[in-house]
Amino acid sequence: MATQVGTKPRRLQLRRHRGPQRARLDWREPYLGWLFTAPALIGLVIFLVIPIIAAVWVSFRDWNGLSPIFESEPVGLANYRELLLEEGVRQRDFAISLRNNLYYVIGVVPVQSILAFVIAVILNQKFLKGKGFFRTAYYFPSITSSIAVTLIFVFLFQTNGAINQALPFQDIDWLDNARGLIHNFLGVFGVEDGPAFLTENEFMGLELWDWLAGPSVAMTAIMMLVIWTTTGTLMLIFLAGLQNIPVSVEEAAIVDGANGVQRFFRITIPLMRPTIFFVVTLGLIGTWQVFDQIYAGTAGGPRKTTFTPAYLIYFQSFTNSKAGLAGAIAVILFAIIMFFTWINRKIIRDTGDV
Amino acid sequence: MRRNKLVVLVLAFALIAAACDGGGGATTTTAGVTTTAAPATTTTAAETTTTAAATLEGVELKLWGWSSSDAENTALSDLVAAFNEATGAKAEFQPQSDYDTTLNTALAGGDPPDVFYVDSFRLADLAEAGQLAPVPEGVIDDPDDIYPSLREAFTYNGTWYCPPKDFSTLALVYDPAALDAAGVAVPTSWDELTAAAEALTTDTQAGLAMGVEYPRWAVFLFQAGANLTNADVTEITLDSPEATAALQYVADRYADDTFVRPSDVDAGWAGEAYGQGKAAMTIEGNWIVGYLKDSFPDRQFAVAELPAGPDGKGTFAFTVCYGVPANAANPDASWALVNYLTNAEGALAWTNAFNVMPARVSVADDWLSSHPELEAFVTGADYAHRWGFKPGFGDVTGVFNEQANAIVDGDATVTDLIGETVAAGEDVI
Repeated sequence: MATQVGTKPRRLQLRRHRGPQRARLDWREPYLGWLFTAPALIGLVIFLVIPIIAAVWVSFRDWNGLSPIFESEPVGLANYRELLLEEGVRQRDFAISLRNNLYYVIGVVPVQSILAFVIAVILNQKFLKGKGFFRTAYYFPSITSSIAVTLIFVFLFQTNGAINQALPFQDIDWLDNARGLIHNFLGVFGVEDGPAFLTENEFMGLELWDWLAGPSVAMTAIMMLVIWTTTGTLMLIFLAGLQNIPVSVEEAAIVDGANGVQRFFRITIPLMRPTIFFVVTLGLIGTWQVFDQIYAGTAGGPRKTTFTPAYLIYFQSFTNSKAGLAGAIAVILFAIIMFFTWINRKIIRDTGDV
Repeated sequence: MRRNKLVVLVLAFALIAAACDGGGGATTTTAGVTTTAAPATTTTAAETTTTAAATLEGVELKLWGWSSSDAENTALSDLVAAFNEATGAKAEFQPQSDYDTTLNTALAGGDPPDVFYVDSFRLADLAEAGQLAPVPEGVIDDPDDIYPSLREAFTYNGTWYCPPKDFSTLALVYDPAALDAAGVAVPTSWDELTAAAEALTTDTQAGLAMGVEYPRWAVFLFQAGANLTNADVTEITLDSPEATAALQYVADRYADDTFVRPSDVDAGWAGEAYGQGKAAMTIEGNWIVGYLKDSFPDRQFAVAELPAGPDGKGTFAFTVCYGVPANAANPDASWALVNYLTNAEGALAWTNAFNVMPARVSVADDWLSSHPELEAFVTGADYAHRWGFKPGFGDVTGVFNEQANAIVDGDATVTDLIGETVAAGEDVI
């Protein structure tokens, strides 16, 4: 309610202003519109639309990435069949990459979103001194080159590196440990092998027991790295959202006798729902496409536990001469991202409008 | 006001982020563009000299490769400048960052460089894609002088595609002082290797450091008379008793901790583990020599041939050749440059400066006179196996590596490794 009251006069003002201008520009307006957007549009078409169409087209062909693209043979759905239906090394690798990335998403998205929200709320307090400093400090990792950050983290995560020095317990072999966290946890209770129904049944060429491995220690290290770098960006978005909550609503709640906790859950969170949706969507898209950190940090190892679909696309198209297959992975990855975004939208919509 | 400022700030950062994203792709292009600018010296050399081979006068040639070190780039550029001086051509060495990606794009786009590096592992991909020109009759001086195992490495489906630039083999690098102290001789058989590794293993030092990957483990397959595939790469031959025995031998050494995986001793690769004194022996290629001299100048080492297995000696040869694209603009000029770089004089001039070896038998002695301590690497060429299969085989070696690491972790057996690798291999073939 209050937001509408706040913005209404401004909107009217704009409309009144537009009247005479509109008449003067009448016939030129559509052309000028296209002209002004042309630089961005041309860029989008060349670097986004055409590559996307090409990727979809290539996914139906047996292209090696080396010969001219139009000389490739059409193979229909063979690439998709190889990834999804036919048992074999390609399907298993794809399954492994999906498993790894799924755990990565489950680990990264909630943590980075909640952390960013908490930091944003703290930085939004009126009494806090040195806000500008903290804002810059938290945002800094996000504007640093991801490759540079990854290389530094690789040093930090060495067995005799800074992180193990700082931790009180015995040295962890961060980047070369392929054991899954869930398997490790079960190992504490002496469970080393899964029950028969998990080890004997497979989905997409991978034992159910292996699906349940959890992220490997190496993947966990990458997750920590990514959370550290992206939290700053998300914090900034949350901060922008928080500052858009009108003070009057907050004040009204105080007058009504709401305490701090009530105000947070009944006012801040509901009003922040669009921002939360935006941040979680950004997080889902970004995490399903993780590449830089894998490429520079672990190159898919140890034992393929940091293989992700995006890294598999790179490997298949540039080092394994299977660009058609890589195209199919890209299309499936797109579908996965759309699916998760849709679920996210549904969840947040069901609890109120976005 | 404050609110608006923040929104603007967010937008500005979003734009910067977008620009940075785009920048990733652009950097490669810029790198390509900057290197195109010809080093002034090369061009002048070509212009001032107007001697032999009038056909090459003023012909521009691009030679693409990856960059290993500044010294190597300079040496190759010097050699190319000498070619320009002799022929009047305007050839130029242009090292590329992200080599595979850049080369793929150039080839697929139909605008390849005139001559480019081809790794033996990539040969099958390029040949199968029809992107490489076979070596025409008579353009390469005395082709029979090239080691047969190296010519074989660049032969696909019976066609020879390119002459090797140089090569490296795997050999046993060891610490003579440690061997003396432990009272063991340089191992020449598997049994002796087992004994030596055991004798050399202490609390702080493993007997031998070796990467857990196909390009290392496979030497034991060769020594046992086994191999991953048959010679034509039409059949997977890993499920043989010889292969099982060889892999079991290796797995047992890791299991009793006399062999060690570099990452388990916090080293990036076996050479680093050896340099840091965490292992008394390692199985590595010639590149370790320059590395040890640079990074661990005080660490002593000697090189011996790999111990022989039940079926005799076996090692890997890793090699790179100069390829000419199938649709080269000026094939004669391209081949003239390739020949200049790979004939006996060119090979010797190129390899003398480095710890890579000339691919020609006739200059081996000459090269050895200046690198006598590296003889074991050269000898390996006589029985070396090539590193290369057929397109899409990276998946298969990937499975092998994954399973081999699982063995070392104690999560898999040799039977698992063979089963999984054979399944993957049959899938790809």
